[in-house]
Formats: sequence, structure tokens, C-alpha cells
Amino acid sequence: MTATANTRIGAFALPSLLAMACALGIMPAAAETVRYPAALAARIAALPAEQQAFLTDSAMLDRVGLTADEVALALQGRTDEQASAYVGALVRVVADARFDPATDMAEIPLNPEATAFNLPTTLRPALLDKFYRAPGPFSIASYMYQPAGIPTFAQAPIALRKEDLVAGKVEVAFVGIPLDFSNGHRDAKHGPMALRASDGLVGTDIHTGLDPAKLLRMADYGNIAVDNMSVERTVGHVRSMVAEIASTGAVPFIVGGDHALMYPDVAAMVDVYGKGKVGVIQLDAHYEGVAEDAHYISDIQSVSRLIRDGILSGGDIVQIGIRGAGMSGADKARATAQGIRMHSMADIEKDGWRAVVDRALAQVRAGPEHLFVSFDMSVLDPAYAPGVGRPAPNGLTMREAVPLVRTLCAQNKVVGFELLDPAPILDISYKTAQNANYILHSCLAGMAQRKAAVTKAP
Amino acid sequence: MPGSGHPPIDRPPARRTHSARTLWKPALALSAVTLLATAAVANMDRAPGITRAPTPPEPIEIPEKLQSRLSGLSAEQMDYLKSGKSRRIVNPEVMFRRFESLSSEEITAYVDALLSLQDQIDYKAGRDKASIPLDTSSPSFNAWKIRRPAELNPWREDGPIELGRYLGGRGSGFATFANAPVALGPKDLIADGIEVAIVGAPLDMGSGWRDARNGPLALRTAGAVGGYGNDMFSMIDPTRVLKIADYGDIAIDQQSTERSVHHVREVVREIAKTGAIPIVIGGDHSLEYPNLAAMADVHGKGNVGVVHFDSHYDIGSDRVHLIDHGQPVYRVLHEGHVRPDQYVEVGLRARGPDKPTFQWMREMGMNYHTMVEVEKNGWAKVMEAALANARKSAKKIWISFDIDVLDPAYMPGTGTPVPGGLTMREAQPIMRRLCAENDIAGIDIVEVAPYLDVSYKTALNSAYLLNACLTGIAMRKKGLTKPHWLDPVSSSSRKGA
Repeated sequence: MTATANTRIGAFALPSLLAMACALGIMPAAAETVRYPAALAARIAALPAEQQAFLTDSAMLDRVGLTADEVALALQGRTDEQASAYVGALVRVVADARFDPATDMAEIPLNPEATAFNLPTTLRPALLDKFYRAPGPFSIASYMYQPAGIPTFAQAPIALRKEDLVAGKVEVAFVGIPLDFSNGHRDAKHGPMALRASDGLVGTDIHTGLDPAKLLRMADYGNIAVDNMSVERTVGHVRSMVAEIASTGAVPFIVGGDHALMYPDVAAMVDVYGKGKVGVIQLDAHYEGVAEDAHYISDIQSVSRLIRDGILSGGDIVQIGIRGAGMSGADKARATAQGIRMHSMADIEKDGWRAVVDRALAQVRAGPEHLFVSFDMSVLDPAYAPGVGRPAPNGLTMREAVPLVRTLCAQNKVVGFELLDPAPILDISYKTAQNANYILHSCLAGMAQRKAAVTKAP
Repeated sequence: MPGSGHPPIDRPPARRTHSARTLWKPALALSAVTLLATAAVANMDRAPGITRAPTPPEPIEIPEKLQSRLSGLSAEQMDYLKSGKSRRIVNPEVMFRRFESLSSEEITAYVDALLSLQDQIDYKAGRDKASIPLDTSSPSFNAWKIRRPAELNPWREDGPIELGRYLGGRGSGFATFANAPVALGPKDLIADGIEVAIVGAPLDMGSGWRDARNGPLALRTAGAVGGYGNDMFSMIDPTRVLKIADYGDIAIDQQSTERSVHHVREVVREIAKTGAIPIVIGGDHSLEYPNLAAMADVHGKGNVGVVHFDSHYDIGSDRVHLIDHGQPVYRVLHEGHVRPDQYVEVGLRARGPDKPTFQWMREMGMNYHTMVEVEKNGWAKVMEAALANARKSAKKIWISFDIDVLDPAYMPGTGTPVPGGLTMREAQPIMRRLCAENDIAGIDIVEVAPYLDVSYKTALNSAYLLNACLTGIAMRKKGLTKPHWLDPVSSSSRKGA
């Protein structure tokens, strides 16, 4: 990790190493000295030096979730002995939270003796097909004018291998990734299935008057294998599979799966188009910028990992709709210091939707030439998308999200789109799946519009 | 555990401390002296566990008419073909049919492709990772399981915390298991002589639908709809007869079952050491492993038998992950916490189990009562057979109750439901009887996934089953251990109990 940090140092001209560490997301906000009421000064001075240092360090208090006022109140109600026990307990909590090589596993062991260790991610080559077929997307519809009974994304033909995408000159390749490790509710594993089975992804877009299927060659690329016992073991395979799709020139339309997927998805884009060549617009209720965790990757740290691993710089990320309660003021300051342009729901309440959208669109246009759209379903209000892992009220309406997505995809060269964290079991209605498909369709309409060289914003 | 394809994951793993295949592996090697001492202690009560070797592939016989076409293959290629290992990659019939139309060179290329795929599939040191690295530099590495120090609360005497505000009524709105007071640590259990400590373990990494993390919550709130109280069959209210506490939830790392199970084992052991009966509310069925490992820690290996209610046998092995909700029984047996003949499985009917596995289970001496047996002999007979198995399995028994043993009509809120299951009128008596007629070491009720059920059914039925077992434990405390004892006034028949 130190090595990763070092590779990034050149990109920042910050005065102190500490500030740099903060900006890189490897440390919480810098410590500030905490002040206590004068009446407590003598009692605090009587505590052991280690305990005094703890009490006056705001970062330490942050770790145990206490404010100076709360500590002062606790000390006032305790005898000197109890006060020392109290602060001692806090010191112990912070120490015990750290890794201890004598008692802790530094890694999670697997079973290398398992037969066919890599079978789930091994691709079946065409050579082994029972019956051969020429490469290219193929339809599974029995009728000429009836959709197939077997659902596919956008009723598109199926492509199973890279050769199918190449032979069909596929421009949009839908792919499902059923990763189900949300830090909220789960069931994202059934997102791809629900969206394939739902309507809303075919037909003419009323705003542009275009039917994307008539302008873009699309295919359903099936699902990518995941290890539903480990996000860590999943992201490598996803990254190579998504990069493979993009390497054919197709735009992957990824349907998740939880938000941890943003990490391998964006990394794949950078693998194909180059570092600094890919910008990201993230529509999400959550900033996904958690700075530290024992696990190297999960949904809540997909953005911070991309930055920490030097795949993306903060300046290439624009966020809209952030409102999740998991982000503190210090977290927001760190994200901003990293260069992330964050347009929270507070900004929208203050300046209005139109103004915020105009700012964000301008930032995206001024960014890298390739755009990746990360759309977490939680950006929508739960009224529109109850079936998500981490819902948060006060979200966008469909009438806000649809035009924004269409405009983004019309104004920019979109090289990838991910729709993350639909969790259908949480929605007893059809709403989440249908709205998710409408979001995908609005981007397709924008891309169709762009292809038709009508790139003016609506 | 010689020649084991399936290493132990228990703690400490004695001679396997350095092995990448143990689930418990401290980062630094302990000093040689400590290590030897640990190994000696750990091996003393160690009954050897059982190991199931992976089923070898069925060899492939080369059809007579293809012999000449295959003459161009090298000895290595020929051996590989005959070994049958390629069955995982391509169906032999499909392969041979293809060979009929391929030239000798093309056949060689085809077999080369198979060999290259085989190489890709097999684990290869250096190329494949035998572990998942964690970020040991994170200051929050263990934050998920740090216990809250007692010093942070105002001073109080040890003992369960009563949450009720009023002298009468149902408490103050705080939902706890069986409406019990709250215990935060072993001292609280000991101070009041708590007999049953119910603890949540919201592990949520099942292979089907998820949401077992909300299982404990569902069983707590079920109290508000009458889930706990007087059992009419025995006319006993276990919440009045037994000293019960709600022990809160056990911390879970929701990104790793492997990391979570060790902590579950610690907490279940901590409860049982006080003399209280631990009841673990899941959470997915991986929990059966740490629960039984904890029982072995406290009561000794081979001293606790198991009745495993489930539509699935959960005895999977030979997987990349050393534990998941399909493998707990194997881990328990493999580490020798319970002997195979001490296992009783009831209600099996899922699609997964295959004939070789059942045959292996039979050879190992395990007892199983499938729904096939229920179809053949009727529930009453099967229940008696299961009860008899349980009685002779060990002095103490653990009940691992996966709610999917019931039909989804009763338990829609579960991750891997299977139709054709038990009814509540079948499950309730056996739970009550098991807990009355045996010395219960502890129980778990797992795989409650409330958001799969838009109704109250799953939560209420699960609470009723918990209450049925609590009733049995209370009956035993009162000496009512006679087989199938029912209170005489609970039915109009004047015949004695």
C-alpha cells in the first residue's frame, strides 16, 4: 500500500505528507487538539500520559464515536479511578481494533486441494461445442414478430464469446454480474434476471423519437461468473471479462450486482482506453469512499480503492445525488481534497436541479474523452426504486434521472455503463426493474441520438 | 488427519499452523516452543475426524472404431483421455462423435486443447491464490468485533438488564428474544444463574436468496405478535419457568464467512462455559460449524450428538471455500467435533444430494431420515426413529434447525426453500419432545430471511418452534421427561398423560 501511495505522490502538490495521506484516502482527517472545560483540566492532567494524549486527539475520539462534550460529561460523573478506567477502555478499543499478527488471520485461507479449483471461471471454447455454429450473435426467438419466451436484455440476440461480438460488430453488449455482497440489504444477485424478465428496454424513446435497437447493434452477453463467498475473488475475473468486451469496441452495459463492481468495471475501461483517458459520472446515493477496512474491496469503498490503486484520479470523477448517512463531514472534505466533484442532494436543494445538472454536464464534457456511467439504483428515490440494497429517501425522480442520463450519453463518448444494486426481492411490485430498464434505455436513446449526429441537448 | 484433501479449520490448528489450507492462520508463526505446547494441548482431546476423498473420475473407454484414428496421440495425451478427467470439460460422447470427422492432426489439437483447459482448471501454485489477502494496515482491522467496554456505561451490578418500565404488561417496546432481559457478557449470565441465553448471529452469505442477517430481528419482533409464552400441550410457560436472557447479536464480518465463524465460536463457547444453554438464531447454516466446534471446546469432542433438521444435508466438501452454508456438517465431522454415528439428519429432500454422497453417509454410520422415509412410513414412525437415534447419539444433543425443513407454505422467508416439507404440526412436537427428553447442549435456528415473506408467518412459526424447544427444556427442569408427555387437562380425553 505504501508503494501505491508513493506512485501517486507526484500528482499532488500538497505541503505535508499527512495532508497527502488524507487526500489519498489512506488516513482519516488530520488530528486536531480537543479542548475541555477548565474545571476538568486538573483531572485530565492526573491521567496517565497515554490517556491524556488520547483525549486531546480529535481523530481518536472520532474512532470511538465520541465528542469532547460527551467525554466531559462522562468524566464529570465518574470518580478519578472510574475516569481512568473509562479512558483506558477507550484506548484499549482503538488498540484492539488494529491487526495483531499473533492472534489474527492476515489472509483468508482457501482450499487449493479442491478439485477443479478454477472451473467456475473457465470459459468453454467453441472447439468443444456439441454442435458447431458460425460466430456472431444469434436469436433465440421462434417467431418473426414475437419476442422469444426466453428473456434477454432488450430482447437482443445472444453472444457467448468474444468472437460473437466481433463477428456481429456489436456496439452495445449487455452483461449481468450477479455479485451479492451489498453492505445493506442483499439480493443484487437477482438483478440481471429481473431486468431481463421486465419490460422497458425496447421500443422508441419518445423524447428523441428514436428506437435504439434500430441504430445500435446490441447483444446480450449473458452473465459473468462471480464467487458469491468473496468479492475479492470476483473482481479479477470481472475486470478481464469487461475489458475483453470493451476491447472489441462494444460498449458494455453492465447490470449488477452490488456497487463493488464499479472497481473492476472502471479498471477494465482504464485497461482498454488508458490511464487518464476515462472519466466517470457516478449517480449514487452513496459516495463509496470509505477509506479503510480489513477487506480490500466492497461496495462502500469502490471509489476510494480506484483512487488508492492509482486507476482513477479524483478529478476524473463527478458524482450526483449523494445523500447517504454513511458520509461524515470529514469524509466529504477528503473526497473533495481528492478532486472529486460531488453534487449532493444538498446542492440540489440549494441551487435547483437544472443548475446542478448544467454544472455537472459541463464538468463531464471538460473531462477525459471517454465516459463511463456508474448508475446506482439508490440514486433514485425509493418511491421509484424500492428494490435496492441501500435505499435512501430524498432521491431523484425518474423525470430527473431519465433526461440526465440521455443527455450524458448523447453529449459524450460513452464507453461503458453500469447499473448497480437492483435487489428485486425487496420490491413486491414491478417498479424497480421497469425503471432500471428505462434508465438503460434512456442512455441507449442518447447514444442513438449521438450516432444519428443529433447531439444537441434536449 | 493424514492424507487429507480437506484440512481442518478449527482453532488452533496444531501442526497445520503454517499450512495455507487451514482456515485459522495467525499471521506470524508462533515461537517453536509455544507452537509445540499448543500442538500438544490441542491434540490431547482430539478425536480424529473423517475425510471424504473426492470421487475419482470414471475412466473413459476408447471405442474400438476410434482406436486407429487416435494412434497419433502421445502416451501422455492417451493417458489423460483414458483417465476420465476430461469429463468435467466435455462429454465423452460429444468428443468421440467429433473425433469421427476429424483428421489425426485435428484430434491431436483437440486433445491438446483439453489438456490446456485442464491445466487452467487445476490449482497451480504461483498462478492461483491459495488465500484472500486482507489489509493488515487498516486501523479498523478488528473493529467489527470489538466488544463495547463496560466502563462506557454508567456503573451497574452484573446481571441481566430488565428493559420493562411497568410492573405489568409487555415491557417498554424493546423487542427481545422471548421477551427476555438483556445480558451483555458472561458475568451477566452468571450473576443471575441464567439457564438459556439466546443470541443472534446475522451471518448472511447463503447461496440462494439472502437476508438471513435480519433473522434475529424477525424472531425478536415476533414477541410482539404472541410468539412466546404458554405452551398448551404441556401447560407450561417457559418464559416463567426458565431464566432466559437475550445475549444480543454476535458480530459478523458480512464480507467473509471464514472470518466470522471463529468469532461465533468464541461467543458460543463463552455462553456455554457459564452453564447456560446457548440458542443461536441465524444467520445462515454455516453457523452449525462454529456452534458444534464451541460445544466440543466446552464439553469435549464426541460428547455432543446432533439432530440436523433441514431439507439439505449440508455435507458438501471439496470446494474452494473451506466453509459455506452447504458444508458445515462436513467441517464438523472432519474436525472430529462430532462422530458420524452421532449425527441425525431429518427432513432431507433438496435436489442437490446425490446417491454416492448418501451411500458415503451410510458407510460413515450417519443417521438420516429423509422425506422419502416420511412418504413411506409416515411422520409418526419417522419421528420416533429420529428421537431414538438422538437419545443414543450422546449424553447431550445439539439441535441445528434449518427452517427450510418446513414446507414453504409455513416458512416462505428462507433463502433456499424446498417444497414438500414438514408441517408445523409435525415440527412442533418433535422440537418439544427432543428438548424435553434429552439433555440439550444448545440449539440453533437458522436461515430465517424475513424479507422473502411479505407476511408474518415465517417469523411467527420460527418463534413458535423456539418456544416449543424452550418448553421442552422447562419440562425437563420440572422432571417431565416421559416420552411424549402431554398435560392431561389440555385435551378432553380423561385418559392420563
